Amino acid sequence: MTPPTIKAMVQAIPRSLGAYGPVLREIEEALQSPQCSLNAMGDAIQKDPDLTARLLRLANSPFYGFASRLSTVAEAVGLVGIQQIQDMIVASSVLEQFKGVPDDLVSKVSFWRHSLAVGTAARLLAMERRLPKPDKFFVAGLLHDVGRLVLFSQAAEWAQKVFELYQRERILLRDAERRVLGYDHQQIAAELLQSWSYPAVLIQAVAFHHAPEGSVAHTDAAVVHVADHLVNAMGIGSSGEHFIPPLSEKACAALGLGPEPLAGIVAAVDDQILVVEEAFLKRDNGSAK
Amino acid sequence: MIRIKAEELQPGMVTAREVKNIDGMLLAPVGCVLSERQINILQAWGVTEIAIEASEEQAQACDPLAQLPPETLAQITARTRARFWRPDEFGPVSAEIFRILLLREARRMLKLQQPAS
Repeated sequence: MTPPTIKAMVQAIPRSLGAYGPVLREIEEALQSPQCSLNAMGDAIQKDPDLTARLLRLANSPFYGFASRLSTVAEAVGLVGIQQIQDMIVASSVLEQFKGVPDDLVSKVSFWRHSLAVGTAARLLAMERRLPKPDKFFVAGLLHDVGRLVLFSQAAEWAQKVFELYQRERILLRDAERRVLGYDHQQIAAELLQSWSYPAVLIQAVAFHHAPEGSVAHTDAAVVHVADHLVNAMGIGSSGEHFIPPLSEKACAALGLGPEPLAGIVAAVDDQILVVEEAFLKRDNGSAK
Repeated sequence: MIRIKAEELQPGMVTAREVKNIDGMLLAPVGCVLSERQINILQAWGVTEIAIEASEEQAQACDPLAQLPPETLAQITARTRARFWRPDEFGPVSAEIFRILLLREARRMLKLQQPAS
């Protein structure tokens, strides 16, 4: 028996925004209108009370650290930025898309906790390194291991074989993936995000998060790489790996990242992760499963 | 110098490093004697850790690793090491991450010992 091809697995996953489709469409329409205003954006978002609540919670949290309290959606849109809100909606829709993945190999709550923490850490690292648009790293971090969910949902029996080899030989999970399948979760994620027409730089950052040197978007991949290492070390959630995967000092050098800012970044991740989890995982009165 | 959490700041403490918010905006220079108002500002900006001047004894009292019994410290060191893939190949960044993990774990254990504080 040969393992399924990456293409076949990815094609079986429909591109759907689920419950978020209408809000996202409305935001896009409002953006194209010449009379587009913060109030118009606010109105579009407010039609989804759940999204509104989560946006305000996040906007008033240490994640943004605004000095005063925001109470209206229009204010939140103005300060948080429309790009970040679109990213938040897209991220939420991805979470929803994989709702049905069985929990037997990796708990989904644990998987998303890990992913959200990597997103949070990647954004903080990018801010610290003064990279442009640090918010985009949140999405890259959030989606970095999404390839595993594709494997769990589309080829559960092969995922089982990967885990058996990895437990028997105590090797890294991605090495087990390569030996059993001939490819790893990075390549699956690249194919999936490509089929969803995600920006090329984001795909690079996800597809090379274990070996950033190989990417044309070297810095972007290096940010996700370091964030993934940090969060694994901090032990927030898990995407299945039992070891802390090795850190590439080359990636740190490429970012110009020395040891000094790390304590601050770790403290900030600890400080922000609860709010971020609340904003993304608690939907419909906490039914995060 | 010691690093303390923003909520533990007291008026009169002196900053040992520049305090910046996450966007790099300067909130307090080095050597600043913090007032109540400034502490409120730092907290409102979501600053998490602040380096302040401290005497040798104060620094000792604030170092969580110095407060743990040596055998507990040896245990958490071994346990943390075992979680790393190839801990013998540590570079400077990895070494710092390892130190942060030990501190984080030590703080957690000390907190468990004194649930009242």
